[in-house]
Amino acid sequence: MNAPTPALVASRPERLRLVGQRRQILTMMHQRLMFGLLVYAGIIALIALRILYLAAFGDHAGAKRGLTALIPERGDIVDRDGVPLARTMDAWTIGLWPNKVIGDKLELARSLARLMPERDEAAYFAMLRSGKNFFYLRRRAAPGVVEAVNALGEPGIALEREPDRLYPQTSLAAHVIGYTDIDGHGVAGMERAFDKKLSDSASRGEPLQLAISSRIQQALEHELLFAMTKFSAKGAAGVVMDIHTGEVLALTSLPQLNPNAAGQGSMEARFNRATLGVWELGSTFKPFTVAMAMDSGIIKNFGKMYPCPREYPAYGRVIHDTHPYGRACSVAEIMKESSNIGSAQIAAEVGAARQKAFLDKLGFLRKSDIELLEKTKPLRPRDWTSLDTMMIGFGHSLAVSPLHLASGYATLFNGGVYRPPTLLKVDRSHATGKGHRVFTEDTSYKMRSLLRLVVTEGTGKKADAPGYRVGGKTGSAEKYENRSKLVTSFAGVFPMDEPRYVMVMMLDEPQALPETYGFRTAAWNVGPAFGQAVSRIAPMLGVRPDKNREPDMSLVLPYVHEDAKH
Amino acid sequence: MSAARSFRSVFMVASCAGAALGCYLVSLNVASERASLEDVENRIVMTQRDIRMLQTEIGTRGRLAQLERWNVKVLALSAPSADQFLEGGFQLARLAQPEPAHNVEAPVVMASVPAPPLQSAPLEEGDAGVDGAGASSSAPAARLMREASLKIPVREAVEQQAVAPQPKKVVQSAQKIEAKSVKSVSDVRVKTPQTKPAMNEKKAGDKKLEAAAKPVTKPVRLAKVDPLAPLPAKANSKKTAKDSGSAR
Repeated sequence: MNAPTPALVASRPERLRLVGQRRQILTMMHQRLMFGLLVYAGIIALIALRILYLAAFGDHAGAKRGLTALIPERGDIVDRDGVPLARTMDAWTIGLWPNKVIGDKLELARSLARLMPERDEAAYFAMLRSGKNFFYLRRRAAPGVVEAVNALGEPGIALEREPDRLYPQTSLAAHVIGYTDIDGHGVAGMERAFDKKLSDSASRGEPLQLAISSRIQQALEHELLFAMTKFSAKGAAGVVMDIHTGEVLALTSLPQLNPNAAGQGSMEARFNRATLGVWELGSTFKPFTVAMAMDSGIIKNFGKMYPCPREYPAYGRVIHDTHPYGRACSVAEIMKESSNIGSAQIAAEVGAARQKAFLDKLGFLRKSDIELLEKTKPLRPRDWTSLDTMMIGFGHSLAVSPLHLASGYATLFNGGVYRPPTLLKVDRSHATGKGHRVFTEDTSYKMRSLLRLVVTEGTGKKADAPGYRVGGKTGSAEKYENRSKLVTSFAGVFPMDEPRYVMVMMLDEPQALPETYGFRTAAWNVGPAFGQAVSRIAPMLGVRPDKNREPDMSLVLPYVHEDAKH
Repeated sequence: MSAARSFRSVFMVASCAGAALGCYLVSLNVASERASLEDVENRIVMTQRDIRMLQTEIGTRGRLAQLERWNVKVLALSAPSADQFLEGGFQLARLAQPEPAHNVEAPVVMASVPAPPLQSAPLEEGDAGVDGAGASSSAPAARLMREASLKIPVREAVEQQAVAPQPKKVVQSAQKIEAKSVKSVSDVRVKTPQTKPAMNEKKAGDKKLEAAAKPVTKPVRLAKVDPLAPLPAKANSKKTAKDSGSAR
């Protein structure tokens, strides 16, 4: 370039004037043209490069849209076998923009009332004339209705797809899964407890796998519902647990709740009796009392004798038995006929401090460790007097949830190690909770035959499922607020010669029937239901029925006296 | 040389342009391949979504509560009892053991059936047996033995079984067959008044019966067929049952 630099132009203006005005202008024009040309070329080069870059490495429009579509708006919940329990689907929503309606409003109201009869014609007409911006006409509409509404051809009607939470198994395990609100946030159950994981875009692609087995859950729910209807009970609860891992295989609370329409359920239905409700569960506590005494060295064998009079006055109260002995009886007999008097004496020997320590280790004095957030603290006596100690010995004065009881039985029979109950499947990604020892292995072993005795000879005869070696304990407790109402429960373990599963069933206020001869204690209502449920559930769990196997009954049978039979 | 030199720059430009074009074409190709791949992936995702939708629908329609309801109302299946579980193949094989054949004594009973009780028109199976036993006591033992070992009583056994559940007429027709084949036993029986009306009527069923009865008799005479085998008897009884139906 020959053009003088601006510095020269500036430094010697008098010389430039000498060269001539015309030339100066020409140079400046050249400079400007050159500058403009460069800028223009630069922009074109930039665009061309960008185009080339895009052609070589770029994405075309909407390339990644489809790939993200399979990750649902909210994570799935599946059971331990992968059966979907909760899924998010796209559902049709029908909305209405009254201001955008162009057709005859009366005519439109009439056809809407015909297609969606939940509101009448007048209501639709009032909506159309309200002047408001938007109404939901129906959420989760059926495709047929959507098609018919679309055929009306009214631009004021909005048809949209919205993610919607669907529970394919309807009421199955409703209290475990929980439900979501209209915005898709969990408000109960696992939906609430794992809301963050289920809605986080990074983790929601993976389904949340529960420890629940839907087949077992269904069997338990069915048997419980049957018993509940038969005995006109107010409610029922049931828990099935793997005693070695603490996995909850089934957990139910009746009356049932349909999470697809949770708002329509009553308060009673939304209440989770298995974890949120606490009850004095009665005689089902007695095995703990005996086990504590054995661990403390008070009971060496089941032949230890206690006086069992017909009435036992203690600290201003009188303790009664349903099957009074009126003589001295052994520990085996106390358990067999569920003697309150005997258990109270054993508990008194154990003492308040040791009892408290054991119950604490069993997790009976705090909220359960389960993942659900619907759980309450057990109700315990305020000052734990000697009378309270005795009452707790046979399951009164301390109110716990059925889940507590199940986890306590699991501890008692898995060798004495407490493991926190969990609703998540135990596998490579989720290990068993850290356990701690409560009872010795020896105690745990000896208790097997004691509880088997209750079922073969004692109060739990009707709970036996032939071949499955059920061992367990009945429990009938009066309600604290109304002594005439009962809560009956049965806590059992099977197969007793090598315990694997624990099941707890509870009926809230069962009524007497002619076929139960007017009795309404656990032996008559929840007992048979338990036996029925075991014979259905155990084959699914891979427990082989065998009529030739039994736990070591020689530990208890020598201490059961024949004359004690009624 | 000079021409080549003057054209060199043209060649250079042309080859550069060609290379650039080639590169561009390659990248264009890659881009289009990638686009179609993405398209396929997209379709896979859409299909997976559809599958998910359908699975959910099937799962909802066939939910466990629904299956339970069907079971309670229609199927009434219940959990297997402890006795229904087997220890292994041997226990299973023991269950499949065939029922022992109880017709061992049948030829003994039938061997002693002579004509006399039929004259008093025994129509029931039990009566025939009892009468036969009574008659056997009157007949000499040596003769009975001989007949039992021969073909005749066996045939009687076969036909007696066939006749047993049939109504009157068939009994008569069977008697007639019996009479034909067992002439050696008693000629008197053929001329009984009971059989005559049946013969006069000449029903189609009777002819068929005769035809059916013949092949049964022949192999027995040759003593090739096991007389205890129940199969021919059953076949025969079915046929007679049908024929009697059509005859009526």
